[in-house]
Amino acid sequence: MSIKIRMRGKSKDGIAVVKALVKHPMESGVRMNKKTNKPYPAKFIDNVEITVNGTKAVDAQWSGAVSANPYVAVKVKAESGDEIVISLTDNTGDKGSKKLKLK
Amino acid sequence: MKRRSFLKGTLATGAAAVAVNAGLLVPNTVLASWNKDAFNSKTPEDALSTVYGSSNATISGDIKLKAPAIAENGAVTPITVDASGISGVESIAILAEKNPMPLVCEYSFAASAIGFVSTRIKMGQTMNVVAIVKAGGKLLKAEQEVKVTIGGCGG
Repeated sequence: MSIKIRMRGKSKDGIAVVKALVKHPMESGVRMNKKTNKPYPAKFIDNVEITVNGTKAVDAQWSGAVSANPYVAVKVKAESGDEIVISLTDNTGDKGSKKLKLK
Repeated sequence: MKRRSFLKGTLATGAAAVAVNAGLLVPNTVLASWNKDAFNSKTPEDALSTVYGSSNATISGDIKLKAPAIAENGAVTPITVDASGISGVESIAILAEKNPMPLVCEYSFAASAIGFVSTRIKMGQTMNVVAIVKAGGKLLKAEQEVKVTIGGCGG
């Protein structure tokens, strides 16, 4: 199952703000199911990569302590028309990626 | 003729198998890079020494840590770390001191990125949020207390 991502980005004076909203449960593996007394199985995004025109700009590692349906914003050096790609992987191997041309 | 097409067929499948192998190797290396020990550390000090090799960070006024004074819902606490005033930021980590696993996330930056991260994290109780910035081989930090009225880690 691929992960759904919404992304916006805008460049001003050579610096672009890239914002992404991801649809994901981000289950940490610690939260208990009170009925069965067992933790809900972990399912969270652990790797995030943002590239500008194919070169890696930001590489992030997340734990299950990032909120459900994560929001992330970063700043990169990029002009309008540059291509930003965000790609995600979660701990069960699900992936998602999104491409964006900067305004 | 038959022999030729047979050879072609085996060659093609062989190439495909190689491609699949190469494709399978990529996610494996990506998963291996996830710093399991650091994320499973029970104290902020352990987590920091696993990620950066040291837990000695000096407090810096150049890091702007934006967090709410009171978070109504600990499951969604907006945190912004702005270290764009510091040059050569290599990495930013966000820690929630009293969470069962304090290390929340760790970002590493290439030269084309600016030391700025905004995200939302889960917090179990009232505690300090710590932002660690690695720039020029040095560890800098900023911290702020966030009062949590409803915890976000339990069920």
